[in-house]
Amino acid sequence: MPYEFGEILETIRMTEIEHFDIRTVTMGISLRDCHDRNIEVTKQKIYDKILRYGKQHVKLAKEVESQYGISIANKRISVTPISIPFDACNLEEFIEIARTLDKAAEEIGIDYIAGYSALVQKGMTNGERELIKSIPFALSQTKRVCSSVNIGSTKAGINMDAVNMMSEVIKLTAEKTKENDSIGCAKLVVFANAVEDNPFVAGAFHGVSEPEIVLNVGISGPGVVLEAIREAGNVDLQQLSEIIKKTIFKITRAGELIGRKVAEKNGIPFGIVDISLAPTPAEGDSIADILKAMGVEDVGAPGTTAALAMLNDSVKKAGLMASSSVGGMSGAFIPVSEDMGMIRAVQAGNLSLEKLEAMTAVCSVGLDMIAVPGDTAATTIAGIIADEAAIGIINDKTTAVRIIPAYGKKIGDFVDYGGLLGKAPIMEVRTLSSAGFVGRGGRIPAPMRSLTN
Amino acid sequence: MKLSEEEVRKITFEAIGELGDKATPEAVKELVRKQVESMGGDYKLEKNDVSSGRVILTSFGLNHPGIVAGVTKALGDANCDIQDLSQKILGDFFTMIMVIDISASQKDLKEIQEEMNKIAELLKIKIYLQHEDVFRYMHRI
Repeated sequence: MPYEFGEILETIRMTEIEHFDIRTVTMGISLRDCHDRNIEVTKQKIYDKILRYGKQHVKLAKEVESQYGISIANKRISVTPISIPFDACNLEEFIEIARTLDKAAEEIGIDYIAGYSALVQKGMTNGERELIKSIPFALSQTKRVCSSVNIGSTKAGINMDAVNMMSEVIKLTAEKTKENDSIGCAKLVVFANAVEDNPFVAGAFHGVSEPEIVLNVGISGPGVVLEAIREAGNVDLQQLSEIIKKTIFKITRAGELIGRKVAEKNGIPFGIVDISLAPTPAEGDSIADILKAMGVEDVGAPGTTAALAMLNDSVKKAGLMASSSVGGMSGAFIPVSEDMGMIRAVQAGNLSLEKLEAMTAVCSVGLDMIAVPGDTAATTIAGIIADEAAIGIINDKTTAVRIIPAYGKKIGDFVDYGGLLGKAPIMEVRTLSSAGFVGRGGRIPAPMRSLTN
Repeated sequence: MKLSEEEVRKITFEAIGELGDKATPEAVKELVRKQVESMGGDYKLEKNDVSSGRVILTSFGLNHPGIVAGVTKALGDANCDIQDLSQKILGDFFTMIMVIDISASQKDLKEIQEEMNKIAELLKIKIYLQHEDVFRYMHRI
C-alpha cells in the first residue's frame, strides 16, 4: 500500500470528524477597467465583469469538494477597492455601485462580496471621502457587500482624521442596521497594514498590485490542532510547537492542492494560501479551546498572550514550509462572536477588552467581532481603533478593528446573527474619555520601523 | 501524442486570429479540434484534470457478513480496478482501505461516490472516497 493505514485514517479523521475544511476560496477580480462617465454604464460593466468570471465559481468549487472529500465552507469574491477605479463618483453613485455588487453576488449565489474599500493611511482623495461617507448607507441597503478601510501603515503612520471619520461611520452603521442587531458593523473592518491578497471576508479586497483575476484560498482547522494538542498530553513547549507545526503542515498542503484545483478548473491563476486558524461557532472549532488545551485555565489568564504567540508563530512556520505561496494574514484569528470558547470567557468575566487588545499584538489580525454598548462615544471607538492601529504599525503587522456598538444595547445583552457570524456578549468599555487626544486630528507620523531603506 | 497546455493555447490563439471577426466560441472550438487532431493529438476537453486516476476508499463500521462482497461487486460493475487492499478487524469493528484505479471506469468519481453512498446505507457502514492527491499532498513531501 502506498500509504500507511495510520496516514489514511488521519486524513479521514481530519476531514470527517475534526471540522477540517477549506474556509474560503475567494476569487479576486480587478474592476479597474470598469469606470465610465455614465454611472449606468459603469454599473453594467461591473456587473458583467463579475458575472463573466464568477458565474461558475460556486459550481466548480463544489466539484472539487466532492472529488477530494474536503468541504469548502465559503465561496466568495473580492474586488478592487471601489474607491480607486471610481474615484470620480459621489456618495449616491457609490451606493448604487454597492447595490450592483450585491446584485452580482446574489446572481452568482455567494453570501459575501468584499472590496467596498478605501486605502487612506496617508490622506484621502475626494472620491475616498465620498465612499467612506457612503458606507453606512451601502451596508444598510445591501445584504452581501462587505467594506474595509485602511487607516494606517508602518510606512505612512496613522491617519487620525480617517480614524475619527471611521468611528462616526461605525456608529451610524450601527444605527442604520439597528433592526438586525447592528449587523452592518459586522461587515465593516478598519485596518492598519491591510494586506492585498487576504481571502477572508469581511476584510478582503483585490489589491492594486494584483493581477486581472486570481484565486486565493483561506484554510482553517482549529479542531484538528485542538485534537492534536489533546492527544499529545503532557509534553514540553518545544514538543508542543512541533506537534502544532506538523498538523498545520498537513492541512496547508491539502489547502494548496484544493486551491490550485479550483483555480485550474476556473482557468485562472492561483494566488496564495492563507493558513489562518479561524474559528466558527461550532463546538470544538475554537481558538479559545486550543489555548485552554495548551494549559491556561481560561482565555484571559496570565500566560494567554504567550500561548497565543506560540500558536501563531508555529502556524506561520509550518505554513511556510508547506507552501511557497503563503500570503494573506496567516496565523490565528481571535474573533469573539465566532468562537464559543471566547464567548464563554467573556461571559465568565475572564476576558476583558484590554486583555484581548494585548492578545492582538501577537495574533494575526486584531479586535474582531467585539460588541460594545450602543452608547459608547465615537471618540472612544476612535481611541480603540488608534490603539489597535498603533500595535500594527509599530510591530509591522496587520491589525484590524471590527467593533459593533450595538444600538440600544448595554452590558449583559447579546447581539445574535446566527450562522458564521455567531453571537457576541456586549463587553465593557472604559468610559474614560479619549476625545482630547483623537480630537487633535492630523497624522501620527510613521514609526522608526518605516525607515528601512 | 499529448500536447502541452502551452501548445494548445498557441493553437487556440492562432485559431482566433484566423477566424477574425467570425470567431464564436463554437467556431474556435471546432478549428482547434481539427488542428489538434491533424497534429495527431487527443482532443478531449473533459476529464483531464485528474492527475492520477487513483482514489482511496476507506470504509468502516460494525462487522457483519457481506461487506467486502458488497463493496467489491459494485466496484467491479463500475469497471474499477482494485490495486491494493488492506483490511482489519478491531474488536467488533471492521475497517477496510482500498486503492482503486477508476481511469478505465465509465463512471466518474462523483458517480462512484453516489453509488458507494447507497451501498454504505444498505450495509450500515461508512464509506469515504477521496482522490489520492489529498493523501499524497498531506503525507509525502
